Amino acid sequence: MLAPGGVLMFVVIVVPLAVALYVSLLDLDQYTFRQWVHAPFIRLGNYSEAIQRSNLLHSIRISVGYATIVTLATLPIGLAAALATQNRFRGRGLVRSIFLIPYVLPAFVVGTVWRIILQPDGIAEHTLSRFGVSEDLWLNGPRSFWALVIVQIWASWPLVYLLALAGLQSIDHTMHEAAALDGTGWWSKLRYVIFPFLRGPVTLAMLIAFLHNVNNFTLPFVLFGVPSPRDVEVLPVLTYVEGFQNFRFGVSAAMAVFSVVLIAIPLAAYLRAVRLDVGQA
Amino acid sequence: MKRDSSVHQLLPRPLRLAVIAVLLASVLIPLCYMFFASVNSDLSVAAGEFWPQQLDFGNYLRIWSTVELGGGLVNSLIVAGAVAVASALLATLTAYVLVRFSFLGRLAFLRGLLALQSIPGTLMLLPVFVLFASLATVFGVQVIGTRWALVVTYLTFALPFSTWVMVTYLRGLPRELDEAARIDGASSWGVLTRIVVPLSWPGLIVSGIFAFLLGWNDVLFASVMTNPESRTAAVALQVFGATQEGGAIPVYGQMMAAALVCALPVVVLYLIFQRYLISGLTAGGVK
Repeated sequence: MLAPGGVLMFVVIVVPLAVALYVSLLDLDQYTFRQWVHAPFIRLGNYSEAIQRSNLLHSIRISVGYATIVTLATLPIGLAAALATQNRFRGRGLVRSIFLIPYVLPAFVVGTVWRIILQPDGIAEHTLSRFGVSEDLWLNGPRSFWALVIVQIWASWPLVYLLALAGLQSIDHTMHEAAALDGTGWWSKLRYVIFPFLRGPVTLAMLIAFLHNVNNFTLPFVLFGVPSPRDVEVLPVLTYVEGFQNFRFGVSAAMAVFSVVLIAIPLAAYLRAVRLDVGQA
Repeated sequence: MKRDSSVHQLLPRPLRLAVIAVLLASVLIPLCYMFFASVNSDLSVAAGEFWPQQLDFGNYLRIWSTVELGGGLVNSLIVAGAVAVASALLATLTAYVLVRFSFLGRLAFLRGLLALQSIPGTLMLLPVFVLFASLATVFGVQVIGTRWALVVTYLTFALPFSTWVMVTYLRGLPRELDEAARIDGASSWGVLTRIVVPLSWPGLIVSGIFAFLLGWNDVLFASVMTNPESRTAAVALQVFGATQEGGAIPVYGQMMAAALVCALPVVVLYLIFQRYLISGLTAGGVK
């Protein structure tokens, strides 16, 4: 019974991966594409070209920087949201539902909406100018990087919130009582009683969030369009443009392989952190 | 047991209220603006006004003729729906085997399921495109541009996650149920169809919905592998950005209205199945 799902996964995942690796060694462009098997074999030529003559290293820096900042910034927000909604109060169900909306909205919708909000002379600029901030270019230039960071934070903090909430619910009743009996203040209670319990789920959330941010194509693509401003040229967008706008398929495949190297470390950490065994066998 | 005494209080009341108020505002204000802009005139959206000058629901009528949004929504429904059904069923089969039988490579398989969820889409895009194009040149079957190309592609990404959700779900089903059914003479298949599937509806729904969302939300593959007829809603929405009606101002109001329409099925699904989805999210621990 493993066969249908297992075989399908093998065919649709392992075969393309092998093709991706093979294509990254070929000089493949729109002229050689039709007979791609016969395209010239150039060994690591695409890799050295990607490093030396493309924006690859710049893109990797942007991707890692943006993913790290977003991941770290969502931690306190998600945590505060979970702590604030853990105790029962009137309307808690509604608040919790609303908190999850940014996360369930499709990224292409989030991108479209924020693109209009952040456009020159748009609502964001008007609102900011009332507070004496006169920044007008959010979708171009150096500030576009921060636009991407802010929108991704807006869309992704509920993941940390969800996992932190799950962690909070697993804390035993007696822990709260013990803290209350000791007369602990709220901050030391959090610091010494609650946070240690949350370390596991929150670490997991951070790793998932980082992987998700690094791989995110849709939001930067929709928010800025292509060709994207240099400051938000994240690796997925660069790979896409190289392949499907410049039609340099070989170089694009090499870039995609670099993106695997990029996620290797957090992925390995993630695989260690998840409880893998299913409790039998 | 009464659980909500002051003993369980985590944050002081003023701080708690402040956190909730700030977060609610940061979520709701952009959402309100989204609605306001969708009933506003393009000019006042372009001028950065928050409150709509008018309540013009005409945008919700115009979006259907400006761009083939209706066709896009139908395509998205068909593609995402097919992915949901196929991946939920296959995932249940695979997960059942992974949970109930021990065999060589089982842990590696489980680890693979998790690792595959993090594969960058850009890594798969090119080879999938190359392989589909080869089908056209070698067998004369035109795959790129059809909905089936998208269904197969999305299954690649949906299956590992759906299987993982079902694994975490089936773990919770007591083995004794299987054994009891077996004693009554049921075959493996009988146990699966008559005991496991009926008892794991919530898991099936969660893995199906996540697969659905994956298909609904994708832009990367859909932007490369569709033509105007098989275009999904996500791609159709991008077309609004390039549309201008008789002037220099983009059709902002229609973009917002169309974005709302594209988000609606997702939000409705989420609100209906919220309880299940959250358990699936935290059990799988993965988006």
